[in-house]
Amino acid sequence: MLTYEPGTTLAHRLDPRSKLAFQIGFAATALAHTTLPALGALTVVTALVLAVARVPPLRTLYAYRFALVLLAVAPLVAAATFGTPWIDVSDGVTSAQASYRVLLILLVSAAYVRTTPVRASRAAIQRTIPGKPGQVLAIGVALVFRFLPVLRADLRTIREAIAARLGTERDAIERTTTIATLSLSRAFDRADRLTLAMQARCFSWNPTLPALSLSRRDLPVFGVAIVLAATALL
Amino acid sequence: METERSSAELVDDAVVGQIARAALLATLLGAVAPISIPIPLSPAPITLQVLFVFLAGLLLGPVWGPISILLYLAAGAIGLPVFSGMTGGIGVLVGTTAGYLWSYPIAAGLVGLLVHRGTELRDPAETPIPLLVSVLLGATLVIYAMGTGYAAWLLELELWEATLTFAAPFVPGELLKIAAAIAIVKSGRIRPLQS
Repeated sequence: MLTYEPGTTLAHRLDPRSKLAFQIGFAATALAHTTLPALGALTVVTALVLAVARVPPLRTLYAYRFALVLLAVAPLVAAATFGTPWIDVSDGVTSAQASYRVLLILLVSAAYVRTTPVRASRAAIQRTIPGKPGQVLAIGVALVFRFLPVLRADLRTIREAIAARLGTERDAIERTTTIATLSLSRAFDRADRLTLAMQARCFSWNPTLPALSLSRRDLPVFGVAIVLAATALL
Repeated sequence: METERSSAELVDDAVVGQIARAALLATLLGAVAPISIPIPLSPAPITLQVLFVFLAGLLLGPVWGPISILLYLAAGAIGLPVFSGMTGGIGVLVGTTAGYLWSYPIAAGLVGLLVHRGTELRDPAETPIPLLVSVLLGATLVIYAMGTGYAAWLLELELWEATLTFAAPFVPGELLKIAAAIAIVKSGRIRPLQS
């Protein structure tokens, strides 16, 4: 699974905001271009990013395997035609080039995921988006991070209990309803307890955040991000 | 180190409750991503995500429902493994299934707006079934239109090719999810927070 791993690479030392800007710039230009020279240039940039962040490409591709299936199927579907000649190669190639850029975008975002801890991303959100929306988004993301393993465990318990009572033999709609009702009522019970706990701790709109600092090494990353975004308009 | 020196501005009680519920529902949306229930005679199993998108609109309303989904998308964007296949990252938000992901907040908002008819939350158990069915069908249409439309544009497919690959296998499951969503709110076991 693709998650943050501590390290000392250049990518780890960059500010999350410059890395986010870089990804947005990269995605913008990749979505705007599917020509072969553009794909070649984007591939070089992706390879550099992966090397700087020391991301193992094969393990990353494996983590995105479900997306890869769709990316591989799309050109086949595009190439298939009704009636002779059954296969339209040029349609397939166009779609394959379009699929390939999506793969590059996924790999670049994998470099961010691997080199940025969630608390840094949270601070970046809160400092970038002004006012209460930024606070809600940042607090919400932090809570999702905190509760994801808890709710996964809840779901596991619920499913084991259902299986122990032969609930797996029931029809799909009943199984769906049972799992959803039980997991949601547990999640909302937790939310109500969390509400009380947050009120008891004076949950406020202006908490103290971890320090983030843009340094000189972030400047070139921002510069590249702007150039990449600008090339989307070419 | 930077510190805030202004006095704390407490969050209103009603808002705290909604933030907590929105965050937990967003988490649940991520937690159920790997769960699938097979249905007979269909290649695609049911995944529970769209069901929770419906429930976000039904139980959190037109404001906090979409906020909850946006929290889910933001959590995925910064790399939590909450998208299908336990992946995360900004790449997924512009990737093949991005149209579906971005349609979720719109669908939740639509459901919330039509069922609660305003920002004041009502108990969806009291909404007539025909209205619920048509609202959820409409939301499903929005989700599929955006999902296949974006995939067709991104992967340079014809619209029918995208529909065949990205929508057709899932239709039987969608009808079951609508039925399940209605059964859940009608059971009255989970109610919205009324302020």
